[in-house]
Amino acid sequence: MGKVTGFLEIDRRDRRYAPASDRVRHYREFVIPLSEEATRDQAARCMDCGIPYCHTGCPVNNQIPDWNDLVYNGNWEEALRNLHSTNNFPEFTGRICPAPCEAACTLNIEDIPVTIKTIECAIVDRGWQNGWIRPQPPSEKTGKSVAVVGSGPAGMACAQQLARAGHDVHLYEKNAFPGGLMRYGIPDFKMEKSHVARRIMQMEAEGVTVHANVHVGVDIDADELLKRHDAVALAGGAEKPRDLPIPGRDLNGVHFAMEFLPQQNRRVSQEPLGNVTPILAGRKHVVVIGGGDTGSDCIGTSIRQGALSVTQLEIMPRPPEKEDKALSWPNWPLKLRTSSSQEEGAERDFSVLTQRLTGTNGHVTQLDCVRVDDRMQPVEGSEFALKADLVLLAMGFLGPVQEGLIEQLGLELDGRGNVLADTRSYRTSNDKVFACGDMRRGQSLVVWAIREGRQAARSIDEALMGETTLPR
Amino acid sequence: MRSAIKQVASGRFGVTTHYLVNADMIQIKMAQGAKPGEGGQLPGHKVDAVIAKVRHSTPGVGLISPPPHHDIYSIEDLAQLIYDLKNTNPAADISVKLVSEVGVGTVAAGVAKARADHVTISGYEGGTGASPLTSIKHAGSPWEMGLSETHQTLVANHLRGRIAVQVDGGIRTGRDVVIGALLGADEIGLATAPLIAAGCIMMRKCHLNTCPVGIATQDPVLRKRFTGQPEHVINYLFFVAEEVRELMAELGYRSFNEMVGQMQMLDKTEVIAQAKAQGLDFSRLFHKPEAPEGVAIYHCETQDHPIHDILDRRLIEQAMPALENRTPVRIEETINNTDRSAGAMLSGVVAKRYGHNGLPEDTIAITLRGTGGQSFGAFAAHGVSLELIGNGNDYVGKGLSGGRIVVRPDPDCPAIPEDSIIVGNTVLYGAVEGECYFHGVAGERFAVRNSGAVAVVEGAGDHCCEYMTGGVVVVLGQSGRNFAAGMSGGIAYALDEDGSFPTRCNLSMVELEPVAEEDDLLEKLHHHGGDIEHKGLIDVMADMSRHDAERLHQLITNHARFTGSTRAAHILENWAEYLPKFRKVMPVEYRRALAELERQQEDAPAMARAGE
Repeated sequence: MGKVTGFLEIDRRDRRYAPASDRVRHYREFVIPLSEEATRDQAARCMDCGIPYCHTGCPVNNQIPDWNDLVYNGNWEEALRNLHSTNNFPEFTGRICPAPCEAACTLNIEDIPVTIKTIECAIVDRGWQNGWIRPQPPSEKTGKSVAVVGSGPAGMACAQQLARAGHDVHLYEKNAFPGGLMRYGIPDFKMEKSHVARRIMQMEAEGVTVHANVHVGVDIDADELLKRHDAVALAGGAEKPRDLPIPGRDLNGVHFAMEFLPQQNRRVSQEPLGNVTPILAGRKHVVVIGGGDTGSDCIGTSIRQGALSVTQLEIMPRPPEKEDKALSWPNWPLKLRTSSSQEEGAERDFSVLTQRLTGTNGHVTQLDCVRVDDRMQPVEGSEFALKADLVLLAMGFLGPVQEGLIEQLGLELDGRGNVLADTRSYRTSNDKVFACGDMRRGQSLVVWAIREGRQAARSIDEALMGETTLPR
Repeated sequence: MRSAIKQVASGRFGVTTHYLVNADMIQIKMAQGAKPGEGGQLPGHKVDAVIAKVRHSTPGVGLISPPPHHDIYSIEDLAQLIYDLKNTNPAADISVKLVSEVGVGTVAAGVAKARADHVTISGYEGGTGASPLTSIKHAGSPWEMGLSETHQTLVANHLRGRIAVQVDGGIRTGRDVVIGALLGADEIGLATAPLIAAGCIMMRKCHLNTCPVGIATQDPVLRKRFTGQPEHVINYLFFVAEEVRELMAELGYRSFNEMVGQMQMLDKTEVIAQAKAQGLDFSRLFHKPEAPEGVAIYHCETQDHPIHDILDRRLIEQAMPALENRTPVRIEETINNTDRSAGAMLSGVVAKRYGHNGLPEDTIAITLRGTGGQSFGAFAAHGVSLELIGNGNDYVGKGLSGGRIVVRPDPDCPAIPEDSIIVGNTVLYGAVEGECYFHGVAGERFAVRNSGAVAVVEGAGDHCCEYMTGGVVVVLGQSGRNFAAGMSGGIAYALDEDGSFPTRCNLSMVELEPVAEEDDLLEKLHHHGGDIEHKGLIDVMADMSRHDAERLHQLITNHARFTGSTRAAHILENWAEYLPKFRKVMPVEYRRALAELERQQEDAPAMARAGE
C-alpha cells in the first residue's frame, strides 16, 4: 500500500485550471498537471482498502490501489502496465471521465477522495512522454476478420483488443477521422484531438485497418459487411438526440448540440466543414437547454466564440450542494456540480420548462419559459421570457439511429430502442453481429464504452476461436 | 468502566477485581471462532497511553496473549476458573465461549457440569479484520455443526436446561437466527452486522490503527470520524427481529423457546440433494435427540453454585467494620484445601465498594492456618492482606489486584523451606498489582502473564515469568528451564549460584545482565547515599531502568520481614557476596520503551519552556 498514514498527513490536492480569462481565448486544454512529487504525494494518500470500493466504482475496474502504490514508490512504468491491463485509453478517461471511482473512494466519506483521475492521467502522460507506450502487435494472426462499426471509445477498445488477439480488424468510421464523439463532440479544450490520433496510430500498427468516410448502411450495405467478415461489432453510439417539439422549434437559430459542437471541432482541426451553414455563437445571446455535460460543452464553445451571454436551462430542480453521504456513498451522488465551462460565465437556472420559441423574420429571438414543480408540472403565473439569438438543445440522446445499419440487419431492439444484447455475450439477435457501447446500453460515459468494447471483444474472440485469453 | 459482558481471555490484560465486579456476565474466552487455537497480538505501535492504562502495561510494548489459558489444562481447571469468577462477582452469570468443532459437545457438557451459566458456540464466519490471513482463510468451522452437536450432547446428558446456549459467528439475518434456534440455540450473538450498521466499511485496517471510519482505531483524529448512532444498530436489530417474527409465524411458533431444538422443522432436502452434497451423511447433524419426559430442551433452570457457605462469607462478615467504615480489622481463621478461591469474594466486595484503589494497605489483615485450596488469594484487592501459614496450592494470587499474599510454612513443619514446594503451579497468573512473598519454592509457570505484581520466591519451576509484561520477580534459589519465554516487560532477578542460569533462560526476548551497584549514580541523582532504609517501596519501583541493587535489597528485606525467611536473612547478611550472583533479566522491548518514556518526560519540561 502507499503510505499507511498518508491520508492523515497529506491534504488532497488536485490539478488546477488556468484562469478563465486566459483559457477562453483559445481551444487548448487548460488543466495544469501536478508535479511528479505532488502526484506521488497524492498517491500516498490511498489507503489500499480491504474492500476497495473504487474497483467497482470504476466501470473498467481499474486496479486503483495497486497503481497508486506503484506511483508512490516511483515505479511509473509498472503502474502504466497495470493501468493498461484494465483500460485501453487512460489518457481519455484521465481527462474526461467524471471519475465515479473518486465518488466511491473511502476518503470521499470525508469529501477528500484520492485524486485518482489526476494520478491516472499522470501515469499515462508520462508513458507517452517516455515512449513506454508502443504498439503491441499479436505474435500470431488468427486469420479471422472482424468489422467494427463506429470508432468511438467502444469501437476503438473493441478493435484494439481484437487486433491484439490476432484478428484482422477493420474499423469503419462515417466521418473523416476516427474517434466518434471524442473527436467531434467533446471540444478540444476538454481533450485535444492529438490524443485520439496517437492511439489510432498505435492501433494501426497493431493490425487495425481504419476505413474513414465509410458510412455503413449508407455507403456500404450492412449485408456486404457480413459477407466480408467473420464477425461484426456494432459500436455506432446513441446519436439520436432528444428533440423539443414546441411551437417555434423550426425557427432559424435553434439547433441540436451535435449540430453545433462538431463544427467547432472541425474548425480547430482545420477539417473542411462541408456543405453546412455555419452555426456560430459570436455576438449572440445563447440559451443552452439541458444541464448535462453536452450542455457544458456548448457553453464553453459559445464563450470561446464570443457569445454576449450564455444561459443554461435545466428542467430538474437544483440539486443539493452537498450530498447525504450516508445515503449516497459509495455510489455516484446527485449534487450540484459546476463544470469548468459553467465557471467561465454561464447563468444557470433550474426547474425551467421552455414552452414556446418566438422570433422575427424566421429567426429565434425569445424563449417563453415557465417554472415547474417537483412533478415537472408548470407552475401557474411563473411564466417568464428569455432573450435568445441562438438556442442549443442538449437534452440527451434517445438511442442509436435505426435507419440504415440496424434496419438493414433487422436486429431486435430493447424497450428503449437500443440494440438488444446481454453483457456477457454482447451478441445481438444476429449470431454474427455483436453490439457494445452506447448503441447497446444507451447514452453513457466514455469509460462505460471502453468497458463494453473490451468485453465484447472477448466475447467475439471466444465465438471465433472457441476460447479466449482476453480479460472480461 | 461498566459494560454488561466482560471477557476473560488468555492474556488476562486488565482483568482486575474491579473489572470483574462491574459486569452482568463474565465470559471466559476459550477460543475464537475465526482463529481457533491462536492467541492474539497487539502490536507495540498500537499500545498507546490509554490502552496501556486499561491493560496495565507499558506504552509501546507489544502485548502477546498466549494461545491457552495457563490456568486451564483440564475441565476441572475450567471449573475452578468459573468458581473464581463466580466468587469475585456472584451477581454475574459466567459464560464460556467455545469454538465450533467436532467434539465441542463433550466440552460443552463439561462446561455445564462445571456450572457455567452460559456457553457460546462460535463459528468461523465473521471476525475482525485483525485476524491473521492464514486463520481467516484456513481455520475454523461453521457454527451449525458445533451448535447441533452441543445441543444433542447436552440434551442426551440431561444438562440442557441448566445452561443457556448462545451461537455466534457471522449471523446476519432473521433466517440465520431462526436456523440457530431450530438447531438448539437459546441466544444468538450478532457482531459484524451491527458493526456495519454502525458504520464499519470492512477496510481491514483494524491492525494498522488507521480505520477510516473511526471504529478500530485509537487515533483521536480518526475517532472523530465515527458517525454511528445507537439507533442505527437498533434499527438493524428491529429488521432482524421482524424477519424472525415472520418466519416464526410461518412455522407456527408463539415463543422463541418453543422453537429451540426443533430440528425437524428445517427444510433441508433441497440443499442435501445439491450435487456437492452427494456422498455426505447429514443425519447426525440434523438428528433430534429424544428427551425423556421432564428433561428440558431449552434453558429454563438455573445452575446451583456452591458459594453459599464458604470461608469468604465468614471473612466478609468479620470484615464488615472495614468494608463499611474503613476500620482496620484482623481476622484469624483456619483453612483447608476444600476452601477454594479464598479471598476472592471478599475482594469483590471491596472492589465493588471502593473501586480498584480499594482500601489502605492492611485494612483487612487475615491470617489463615492450614492448607489453602486452589486459587488462594485470587483477585485479592487493595487493602486485603492474606497470610497463609501452611502451604498453598495451584493458582495462588491469580489475577492479584493490589492485595498482599504471604505464604510461609508452619513453624512446626520439619521440611526445609527453601528446598520444599510451598505453592503450586501457575501462581500469579494475570496478576495486575500487589505483593507476594513465598517462603519456599513455587511450581511451574510462576508469574506467568504477570502485569505488575511484585513477588519474591525461594525457587521456581519451569517457564517462570512466561509472557510477563510488568512487575518484578525475585527468585532466591534455583529456577527451572525456559525462564522468561515471551517476556516483554517487567524485570526478574534470579539468583545464579552455580552460573548455569543462562542455559535455562529463554533469551529470545530478554537480555541478561549483572545487577549493577549504583550508589555512585544514586548519589549524583539524589544527593545522598544509598541509604535504602529511608526509601519506601514506591520510590524503588518508580524507575525500573535503574536502582536495581537498591530495589533488590528492599524486596529481600521485605521478604525476610514478612516470612521470617532464614534464606533471605542469610543473603542480606552476606550482601556483598551475593549481589554479584544475581542475574537481572531485562526484556529488550521493555528497555526501549522505558528509554522512550524517559525521553518524553525530559522533553516535556523543555518543550514547556520553549512554549513560554
